[in-house]
This record gives sequence, structure tokens and C-alpha cells, in this order.
Amino acid sequence: MASRTRGWVAIAAVVAAGVVLTLVVQERYHHRVLTLVFLWAAMGLAWNIISGYAGQISFGHQVFFGIGAYVTVLLVVKTGLTPWIGMGLAVAVAVLAAVLIGLPTFRLGGIYFGLATLAYPLIFRIVMDWLGYQEVAIPMIRERPGWFMQFTEPRSFDLLALGVLAATLVLSRLIETSRLGYRLRAVKENEQAAEAMGVDAFRAKMAAYVLSAVPAAVVGAVYIHAILFIVTPDAVFGLLVISQTLVVALVGGIGTLWGPLIGAAVMVPVSEVLDSTVGDRLPGIQGVVYGAALMLIMIYAPEGLYWRVHQLIRSRAARGAAASRPAIVAAGGDAAVASAPTGGVLLEVRDVCKAFIGLQALSDVGFDVREREILGVIGPNGAGKTTLFNVLNGFLVPDRGEVHLRGERVTGLRPSALCRRGLGRTFQVVRTFPRLSVLENVMVGAFVHARAVGRARAVAVTALAQVGLEDRADDVPGGLTTLELRLMELARCLATAPRLVLLDEPLAGLSSDGVDVMIAMIRRVRGSGVTVVIIEHTMQALLRLADRLIVLDQGRRLAEGAPGEVTRNPAVIEAYLGKRWLARMGRPAC
Amino acid sequence: MLSISGLGVTYGGLRALTGVSLEVREGEFVTLVGPNGAGKTTLLKAISGTVTAAEGRVAYRGRDLGRMRASERAALGIAHVPEGRRVFATLSVMENLELGSYRRAARAHRAQALETVLELFPLLRARRAQLAGSLSGGEQQMLALGRGLMAQPDLLLLDEPSQGLGPRIVEQIFETIDRIRRERRLTILLVEQRVVEALELCDRGYVLETGRVVLDGGREALLADTRVQRAYLGG
Amino acid sequence: MALAELVQYVATGLLVGGVYALMSIGLALIFGVMRVVNFAQGDFMMLGMYLTYFYAMSGIDPLLGAILTIPPFFVLGWLVHRGLLARVTGGGDPQRQMDAQLILTLGLSLVITNATTMILTPTPRGIRTAYATQAFALGPVLLNQARSYAFAMALVLAAAVYVFLTRTDAGRALRAAADDPEAASYQGIDVRAMHGLAFGVGIALVAAAGGLLATYYPIEPSVAGNFIVLMFVAVVLGGLGSIPGAFVGGLVIGLVQSLTLLVLPFQLQNTGVFIVFLLVLYLRPQGLFGRRARTV
Repeated sequence: MASRTRGWVAIAAVVAAGVVLTLVVQERYHHRVLTLVFLWAAMGLAWNIISGYAGQISFGHQVFFGIGAYVTVLLVVKTGLTPWIGMGLAVAVAVLAAVLIGLPTFRLGGIYFGLATLAYPLIFRIVMDWLGYQEVAIPMIRERPGWFMQFTEPRSFDLLALGVLAATLVLSRLIETSRLGYRLRAVKENEQAAEAMGVDAFRAKMAAYVLSAVPAAVVGAVYIHAILFIVTPDAVFGLLVISQTLVVALVGGIGTLWGPLIGAAVMVPVSEVLDSTVGDRLPGIQGVVYGAALMLIMIYAPEGLYWRVHQLIRSRAARGAAASRPAIVAAGGDAAVASAPTGGVLLEVRDVCKAFIGLQALSDVGFDVREREILGVIGPNGAGKTTLFNVLNGFLVPDRGEVHLRGERVTGLRPSALCRRGLGRTFQVVRTFPRLSVLENVMVGAFVHARAVGRARAVAVTALAQVGLEDRADDVPGGLTTLELRLMELARCLATAPRLVLLDEPLAGLSSDGVDVMIAMIRRVRGSGVTVVIIEHTMQALLRLADRLIVLDQGRRLAEGAPGEVTRNPAVIEAYLGKRWLARMGRPAC
Repeated sequence: MLSISGLGVTYGGLRALTGVSLEVREGEFVTLVGPNGAGKTTLLKAISGTVTAAEGRVAYRGRDLGRMRASERAALGIAHVPEGRRVFATLSVMENLELGSYRRAARAHRAQALETVLELFPLLRARRAQLAGSLSGGEQQMLALGRGLMAQPDLLLLDEPSQGLGPRIVEQIFETIDRIRRERRLTILLVEQRVVEALELCDRGYVLETGRVVLDGGREALLADTRVQRAYLGG
Repeated sequence: MALAELVQYVATGLLVGGVYALMSIGLALIFGVMRVVNFAQGDFMMLGMYLTYFYAMSGIDPLLGAILTIPPFFVLGWLVHRGLLARVTGGGDPQRQMDAQLILTLGLSLVITNATTMILTPTPRGIRTAYATQAFALGPVLLNQARSYAFAMALVLAAAVYVFLTRTDAGRALRAAADDPEAASYQGIDVRAMHGLAFGVGIALVAAAGGLLATYYPIEPSVAGNFIVLMFVAVVLGGLGSIPGAFVGGLVIGLVQSLTLLVLPFQLQNTGVFIVFLLVLYLRPQGLFGRRARTV
């Protein structure tokens, strides 16, 4: 709890420092620099919401900056509306633009998203040219200048800019500490895992994008009134705006409040000083400095100065910490082993088919999963086991066939929807959210059913205790052993309160002690009422664990039954070792 | 020729191999079998250099390969025919084969090698202008084999050539491997899931299970050993 | 609107498109092999224009000068890769790496454009040749001589690239590295060296394209920004990473730009290009010849 309030205290301190600077600074020129620092920090923070927290690097954020500038000024010029209200309308337009741009663009993956964001400002430039607004000047208004944001006292602009910065800081902090903030970071770190943990990635990204447009539009409006006075398409939609935003956010530190503050405090004065001292003899010096800054940061500290320093401090501290940790011991006995699975059918799979180019991965696969059983899915390489899981989990849509969960048809739902209905999953290679702590990783799962951060934290703590990881709550996943990672993933899955979990090779890469611990844990999970379906190759271990086995071979269901029976089934032996082995060995005894 | 001792590899955050030691002598045909997830592919990758070992040593002709990159190891005469074939889909069959002899030592004899390979795989001659991506699985496997042979290697690493192929093609492939073995003086390390076909070709074999060598021996001994089945199906 | 007028616009569009095609091939090669979106491509083109200008001042015809930009820019490209791009890894995550390299090349672009403005001043320069103001008459259609020669040269260079990629070991190795870097290393191909080679060739091509452009286009630092967008659209239209695609994309963009002038004034000539860009991104992101993205 202390760190939560510490964040707010720090923000208040920064704002207070800003006020002090405003009062102390004398020269008009220095006030201009101060205003610029505040404004660019706010712009960097706005960009940070979509590109830092959500990890969707946008190269076109100046669209909202420009909308803020143009709408406000045009309203003053055409209707005489005060920019104080005009700003609000500009924000509304920016929000609308964010929705219209975001809807199609977030469906694009990878590099296409970045490329698309490059196009939008260019389009706006053309539109403004076409509408004839190549140069719109703010008219000088002598009566009631304050009403039109035309202050004579430079301190007023400073305070206005500081106000914008303060509001953006508050907005950022609110997002950071909310459910949306956790979800955004999960999406950024590992979108697929986030989906499997119930996060609707598209909705989260849209929310972040819209929220990031608001401060950007406000900054644009204030910038025009405080600094530029004349709006041209190039000045507000141009490359230099996004470059400056990128520099401020990237140099300072991406994905954190303090990054843009540091970036603006360092880079803006440097560039302004250079511009005023040598700018006449060397036009473009600003661009050179910004470009060089971007390159140096990408090479030496791609996350920004804040994280670099953070990393250095952390690694020094970690070296000092004790190397020994209590080993996780297998929970005392299997005394809590539940009796044979009771109850009816939880999951029904019928005639599922899935083909890829040149490969029929699954053909007419059908089976039932009964409540509270541990069902093992086995089969030789290429049998289609992971494809089956991907279909059950929602990452793939089957070509034919149906899946019913508790009687409800769930075929084709996306993973986050399935997770909300009680179907959880872990992955073959553990997919963590690397920069969240262990506890925060698990909290992402908890947010499926918990609205408030406090409640989610409580659920997460319980889940961690269930798997024996309470001591590691504040560590980062990078420092965990394979066993601990798998347990963390299990805890995260349990935090989503599932009825059924799909475990994809949970025993892979574990030592024999680790396997024992994991087996005991899975039994405990079943004991608490959760049904388990598990893919495994470590046959010896699976035979101890599973109630029933299903064998897949070349995409078809080959056999089903008790473990002892199945492994002696000649068809199964043939699938694994070949017809000739079977012929050589005859019907094996035992 | 190839000597591996105490190899330990972590791959994808998981412990894939622990304490693996094996040997392949000049001119031998060694088979490595084991179930899915045993670490067979990781072992081959550690030899050809796309994966670095956390512990242990891989020595080729007495020389510790250490941190040598994959392209450098290929230049030494190690040819790796990867799992899933990995032919260059956007290049033609002919171009794939020509690339096989990229390493300097093989370039001089390219024309000759090409003739031999096309004679071994007449089907490739028929399809030489076709894009490799349009071939069937079995044809791609032959292309991958041919590409590997074009390097005129001293050590040939074969990773699950039967994977994803139908029984008749698999038979053809194994026949061809046998023929290659008989007609040239190559040292071969074959990794497979299909036990009998793979063991029948070899001089000696190893069985890998969850990252460790659990069994090794001569051909006949392994073929008669029921413990091999246990590695796959427990019990 | 007479048919002759339409044919004229089409012809001009194709001529211009040929040079765009050459520019775009460089970008496509770099992306195909290295998965890098080189934002500074336009800036290297601009530098190529300046070098050709200086050659012209020493009496070398710009068409020859364009060819002569190739060796120094190849070396420059290789060095830039070695010194800058090879150092940006994005921590192993391919998406982060692409984002990081886009930002890196954006920074590089800022430095080059602004440094050029500082050192050489923003005053536009031009190369005066006899053929810049003359035209061939092909029936009713007039083909500006400078553009025609540039078009022809562009085709020659594109053909040379084609031969390089299909007939030489190095060219095939480049394509293999683009197709499957891991399998390429099994054949003994040093993938990192291939990256340097691809970047060097990509930069050399775009510099040569700049030289050809300089025969009829004014030379100034802001040129970089004008053309980078066209190149991006051409490459995306053709299919990211496809070289024949980029060639076709460049021709199409030239056509679109020219035909847009039938309905819109000069400063809006890129409107059609942007519309095409958005259409491609939404309807068929893999472009005309692109494969569906390799699963990463």
C-alpha cells in the first residue's frame, strides 16, 4: 500500500516543483522553454498510454495533436468560440477520430500497424490543404484576452501547460493502477497469454487509444495558443511533432510515468538552447540532435534512461540478496486424493476437423471430458495434440465440429471469452508477462472475475499460496526456476476460477523432484473441484497421474481408456513404434 | 569423428538435455531414437550450432566446436537436414540444390555432385524448375536430402526424415538412406521416432528419454530390447 | 477528355513509375532479408542525388553518374548496417526488434536530412542537361527525354538485380536467408553477412535511383520525405519482401500518381497513393505477391 500512495505523492511533488519553477524563472525566453517542457512531457505521456503501456508503437499520434490545434483555432476564427470550450469540442473530435482509426487499424498485426499509423497524418495534411486551411492564424483579441487564451504574462502559459501536464499525470497514474492498466501491460508483454487469461485484447487497445487521444488534443490546442500562433498542416501533422514525442518518451523511458518527464526535462532545454545559440548558422540542428538521440537510445538503452538506471540499481540489489531459497517440497502425501471422478460431462467435443495447407491436422475428433477427472491426451509427434488444445481454447476455429462446455455451445469463441466461461490453459513454453512481478502476473488472471485492484490482489495472493509461491510474489519471472515458472502459470490460471484447465506439457523440462511436486499440485487442483485435461510426453509420470487416456494419431482418435489398457493396446504401440516393432515383439506380456 | 560429453542444453527456457554423452566414429551409422520431447532435435541443433550448450563439449574430429556459429560448422563438412525439411519454398528445386553446395569446399565439385544427386532422385530432375514450396511432403524430403548431399559432407545429420509422411514414402526414404550409406563413405547420425526402420539401418544406437541417454548398444541388441518400448510408453 | 490525353498521362506515369520501381526494390530487398523497415531509404536516395549533382558539376553526365553512385553507397550501406542496425536487437522479440529498427532508421533519417540542410543549405539545385527539356514524340504522345532515359536505365538496373539474385551464389544465398534464415545457416550461409550485403545493395540501388531522378527533379534535402511514402506504399502494394512485387508496385504507384493529376491539383497528387495504401492494408495486407506472414 505504501508504494501506491508514494506514486501520488511523487506526482504532487513534481507539480509543486513545476509551480516553484514558474514563479522563480524570470526571463521571457526561459518561460517559453518551461512551457515547452511541460507540454512535450504531457504529449509524451499521452503517447505512452498507447505505445508504452499497451505496447502498440504509434507513428501517427500527431493526428490528435493536429486535430486539437485545428479545431480550436478554426472555432475561434469562424465562430468566435472561446478556446476554453473549443478545446472540449476538439477533444470530442479527437476521440471520434481515435475510434474511427482504431477500429480497422488494430486488426492489423505486427509491422502493418506501425505503417498504417504513418499514413494518417499525411492524409490529414492533404485534407487540410484541400480544404484551404494552409495557414490559419489566431486573431489578436484585445478585450478579455484571457478568455481567448491570449495571456500577456508568460507565467500564465506556464501554469496552463503545467495544468495540462498535471492532468495527464493523473490520468496516466489512474490507468496504471487500474484493471485496465494491468490488462494493457499483459497484452503488451504477451498478447496470446493475455487472451488466454481472459483479456479481450482488442477492447483493451481501443480503450487505451481513445484515452491517449484526449491529452494529445489538449496539448495541441494549448501549443498553438502558447507557442505557434499560426496553424499549418506541416507544423501540427508533420514529422517533427512525432519525432519530438518519440524522443521525449523513448529517451526518458517507455511505459512509465517518469519517462516522458525525464525525457522532456533533458531533451527540450538542450534542443532549445542549441536552436537559439547556433540555430541561425546551423538550421536543422534540432533535427540532428533528436535523430542522434533516437539512434543512441535504440542502441544503448532501448527502454529509455529510466529503465536503464532502474536495471542497474536492481541488479546491484539482487547480487546482495541471499542465494538460498527454501526449496519447494512436495505437499505432504497424497492424502487429499479425490475419489474417482463423479458427475456428468463437462466438455463435449464432437467431430472436430481442422486442416492447414497440405495437412489435415484433426479429423473427426470426438470425446467427452467428465467432471473432476484427469484426462491425459497422448500420441506420437505430429498427432495433432496441440492443435486440439488450440481449438478447445479458442486460438483456432475448427473447420467442422462442435465444442460444448456445460451444455453451452462454445465453438469459435475467442480465448478471452472461453476463459470467462471457466476454461483455462497453460502453455508448453511458459508464457509469462516478463516485466510484471509474479504477483502481478497472477493478478491478470484474477481480473477476469474481480473488478477492483484490491480484490484481484487478494485472489492472486490466495492462488500463489495454493501453489506454494507466496515468497516469490514480488520477484520477476526472469529469476524463477522452471518449476516455479510452471507453478506460477498454474496459479495464474487458477486465479481465473476455472472449471476446466488445459495443461500443455506441464512436466516438460522438470527434474524428477520437480515432476513429483507438479504431480502433487495437479492432484490438489483436481481435489479442489477443477477438471484437468493434460498433454504429456513424459509417459511414466502421466501414467501415475491420469484417470483416463486418449490417444491421437495423425489427427484421429485412436484409442481411449484406462492408462494400463491403452499402453498395451497394439494399435497404440504400433502408432508409437511402428508395425515392425509390434511384429518383432509379438504381443508383449506385462 | 564426433564426440559429445556431458552435454547440457536449455532451450526455450526448459532443460532439454542433461549429461548427454555419445560418440560417432568415422564411417559409422548411428541412430538415435526416443519419444517426442526427448530432446533429439535439440541434440542435433547443438551439434550443428543453432543452439548453444550450457555445459559439456561437442568435439568434431578432435576439435572442440565451442561457440562456433552454424555457418562455420557447415563449412567444416557437417550437413544438417533439418526436421520438417525446411526447403527454401520461394526458390526452385534446382536453386535449392545449388545452394546445398554453398560451402567453399563443395563449390568446385558442384556439377559432379548435382549429377549424382539427380541420379539418386530422378523425381527431382523432373521437377527441377518448380518452386520448392509446391512439392509434396515426400518430394520435399528428397529435396532436403539431396540438398544436404550437395554439400559433400563428411558428417550427415538427419532429423526425423519420416515426420509427417505416409508409410510408403517413408519406406522409400529409408531405402534411399540405406543406398546413400552403401554407395558413399559418409558418417551418418540419424534421429528418428520410428524405432525399427531406424535401428535396422544403423551400426549402433542410442535411446533418449526426457533429455537423457537411457539405453545404448549395438543394432541387434537394441532391436531385441523391450526396454526401448518403455521409453515410449512407460510401464 | 480525349483518349490521347489519357494515354499521355499513362505514359508519363509509367516512365516515372520505372524510377519508383527501382527505389522500391531496394526497400523490398532490405525488408525481405532483414525484416527491417528502413525509414532512411529516402534520405540515402537524396544523398545519391547530391552525389550525382557533384559528378555533374565535374562534367559527368548524370545517367553515368547514377551508376557511379553504386560502389560508394554499397560500402556506406554495409557500414551503416555494421555500425548501427546490427547493434539493435530488441531483446530477442521479433516484433520489438522491428519497432526498434524502425525508430532507429527514423532517427537516422532525421540526422541525414537535417545535417544535409545544415551543410549544403536548403537551396534547391538542378542538373541541366540537353535532354531534360526535349521530348520524344510517339504518335500523339510526348515522352520527356530525361524521363525516358531514366526509365530505361532503371529497367537495366532492375534487370541486373534480377540476374544477381537468380544467377549468382551470393544472390541465391540472399534469397535463402530471406526465406528461412535457420535453414540457410545449415547450408553454411552466414546470415549476418547476408544482412550487410542486402543493406548495401538496397542503399546502392536507391542512391542510383536518386541519380536517375536528378535528371529531371530538383535536388534538395526535403526530397527524402516526399518519396519515402511512395516507396512504402509500393512495397506494401507489391507484398512486403517480394522484389518483383516492389517493381510492379512502383510502376502502379507512378500510374496512380499520374492519373490522380487528371482530377486533382498538383499538391494533392499523392491523395490517390494514400487511398491505395489504406485499401491494401485493410483489404489485402499481404499485397499482390506477398506470402502470408511466416509464423514467428
